[in-house]
Amino acid sequence: MPLVTYILLAIAIFAQAAGNVFLSKGMKQIASVSPLIGGNFLALFSQLVNSPFIWAGTCLLIIFFLLFLTVLSRAELSFVLPVISIEIVVNVAFAGYFLNEPVSLIRWIGAVLISTGVILVMRSGQKPTGTECDVKIPGGQGG
Amino acid sequence: MKTFIIIAIMVLADSAGDVLLTRGMKQVGEISTIKPKELLAIARKVLCNRSFLCAIFFMAITFFSFLAALSQADLSFVFPATALVYVIGTFGAKFFLGERVTSKRWAGTLLVCLGVALTSL
Repeated sequence: MPLVTYILLAIAIFAQAAGNVFLSKGMKQIASVSPLIGGNFLALFSQLVNSPFIWAGTCLLIIFFLLFLTVLSRAELSFVLPVISIEIVVNVAFAGYFLNEPVSLIRWIGAVLISTGVILVMRSGQKPTGTECDVKIPGGQGG
Repeated sequence: MKTFIIIAIMVLADSAGDVLLTRGMKQVGEISTIKPKELLAIARKVLCNRSFLCAIFFMAITFFSFLAALSQADLSFVFPATALVYVIGTFGAKFFLGERVTSKRWAGTLLVCLGVALTSL
């Protein structure tokens, strides 16, 4: 698998994690300024549209989805699915760092397990080796 | 019991969505351009792809069954259950997409599944 795919995957993961942080920040801000009255969707909607955090979060999640599609067109699902879960580790770290949420020990243990799993999956076959690229490029030109 | 059925639907729909999304994107072909004109053509191809449209449908089912599950049970119960998606999705990749899943990859996937369940407790 070419290096580009890994880079796209990495950007996708950070876009999703950052998007979630922005959405979380935006929603908390709205909730703290105006505690929602049940069923007042119109008021909620206008708050959402006026929040730069919500816009940033939504844009980042759209970028994530487009990159996710691109990566799926280039790599196997059984590879992408576990690897993209590292997003949860990034999310836990971001939530602890940017949102000052308390991160419990059990959550950190989970993060370590996910990281170990992702490392295993990344070493399970699809490597960004030069030989694979060398094989692919002449094939692409010939077709 | 009702909660379990809803969660089962959610996990299966999520996995089906991932598998169909992958199939659709593989049918569209490898995206390796950044030229806007070509990207637009690819976007049109993706939006007309039947697997992709089915995937969107399953993603909607996932979202609404997630909401339904939340109305029945706590998030701290529903979210760890979604970790099963990694295992079911890998099964889907193996049987429906014909991907070769090595034992190393399986081990990694299981660790991820366990880790996700733990982080969301």
